Amino acid sequence: MTNIAEIQKGAMVNALLVGAAWAAVGIPLLWGVIQTLFKAAALFR
Amino acid sequence: MAGLLGRERIIASATFNRWLIPPCALATHLCIGQAYALSVFSLPLTRQLGVTQSVPGDWTLVDLGWIFSIAILMLGLSAALFGTWVQSQGPRKAGFVAALCWGSGFFIGALGVHLHQLWLVYFGYGAIGGIGLGIGYITPVSTLISWFPDRRGMATGLAIMGFGGGALVASPLSDVLMRYFASPTSTGVVQTWLVLGIAYLLFMTGGAFGYRLPPAGWSPAGWTPPQRKAGSLITTRQVTAQQAIKTPQFWFLWVVLCFNVTAGIGVISQASAMIQEVFRGRINASAAAGFVGLLSLFNMGGRFLWASLSDKIGRKATYAIFFTLGPLLYALVPASGRIGSIALFVSAFCIILTMYGGGFATIPAYLSDVFGTKYVSAVHGRLLTAWAAAGVLGPVLVNYIRQSQIDNGVPKYQAYNVTMYIMAGLLLVAFFSNLLVKPVHERFAEETEPSARPVAA
Repeated sequence: MTNIAEIQKGAMVNALLVGAAWAAVGIPLLWGVIQTLFKAAALFR
Repeated sequence: MAGLLGRERIIASATFNRWLIPPCALATHLCIGQAYALSVFSLPLTRQLGVTQSVPGDWTLVDLGWIFSIAILMLGLSAALFGTWVQSQGPRKAGFVAALCWGSGFFIGALGVHLHQLWLVYFGYGAIGGIGLGIGYITPVSTLISWFPDRRGMATGLAIMGFGGGALVASPLSDVLMRYFASPTSTGVVQTWLVLGIAYLLFMTGGAFGYRLPPAGWSPAGWTPPQRKAGSLITTRQVTAQQAIKTPQFWFLWVVLCFNVTAGIGVISQASAMIQEVFRGRINASAAAGFVGLLSLFNMGGRFLWASLSDKIGRKATYAIFFTLGPLLYALVPASGRIGSIALFVSAFCIILTMYGGGFATIPAYLSDVFGTKYVSAVHGRLLTAWAAAGVLGPVLVNYIRQSQIDNGVPKYQAYNVTMYIMAGLLLVAFFSNLLVKPVHERFAEETEPSARPVAA
């Protein structure tokens, strides 16, 4: 029982870590993409 | 500290999630990708003394252009020189050294700007930062391929996409920071470089300490390595970097990368001026900046998409598409100018830029197919000398041919036509070079394992 709980806890920590790591790189990148899209919009005006 | 950075300290546990590795690689590449946004500092650096306008003694754009050239040259040289070291020391130590070099490059560069000593900027950002670029660029490649043997293209494409994306973040961020730090006595460049240096040092260090290596014999759950078929490019043997450069395959791929990059860099370096001159009166500077931004997005997107597609259709087929579609698109550009179709012009260049980025992103997986996975970072490092060569060749071709056309009385809006045909020709040469890539002869391989013998198709 304890083993299953530990495995589940480990999986949750892993999932949180993966989410945090992707957010750390994804948010700045998304911000950059949005800024560039705004800039690119001038081409279509 | 040395122990903390060693390979043996970063062997992953059984429960480690391999999807933690791509963000670490992205953390490195997003930072070093700033190099593509260096031009955002060009104008402010030309008025460091005058602040509001250039005064005698201020640096010129030609002087400043050398900073980028030195950095790219050092990228190629350091990737080639330190590739084997990166491979032997592991991604944590290599990533940390890259972080130190890249961060220090900004600090020394900022000191050079503060003291108005251009040689110090060349040395700091160009040389030290350039070494950080080279080491940082190749650091995650081998690790990603080890963790994603089933999706080599996608994994390395994700990281190298970060290099394209780095400029998308750095360019607006630098703008914001310079506006914040600017004052009647300062352009804000020094403070911006200091902030960027600290941010990149921390971000890249975070990425470096996140790297893990898979335990010996690890493979993704449910995945078995495909059996090698006779004639298949994908090898199970391992070729060292020293041996790889003795093979014709290495030099065919060198030409493939060099000419693909030459064609792309030629366009990128002139994109803004080109669209304004071809569509004079219809495209202003702001719309041209939008065009450059759009190209950056396609350059970044192509890195992930083409590299991922190469996992399905193979590397050779992917490059065959680049070198078939590319020349057609380059040849189409003069026609789009003649008929005045901005949409056709923009679309052609957007697709060209996806293939430019895709060429960078797919090459590590191509190398691992041809030379094996064990020494791929070192082999990749040596191949990046093709990038350094293209960094000189591309802009030189575009600038000189354009100028000679104008000198011969060709109108400015038609001055790029010959260049486009030359770029198309370069891609055709690359097409044949790609076609010549065959499996590496086993005499170059490090060892022959009985299980790795090819089976009949």
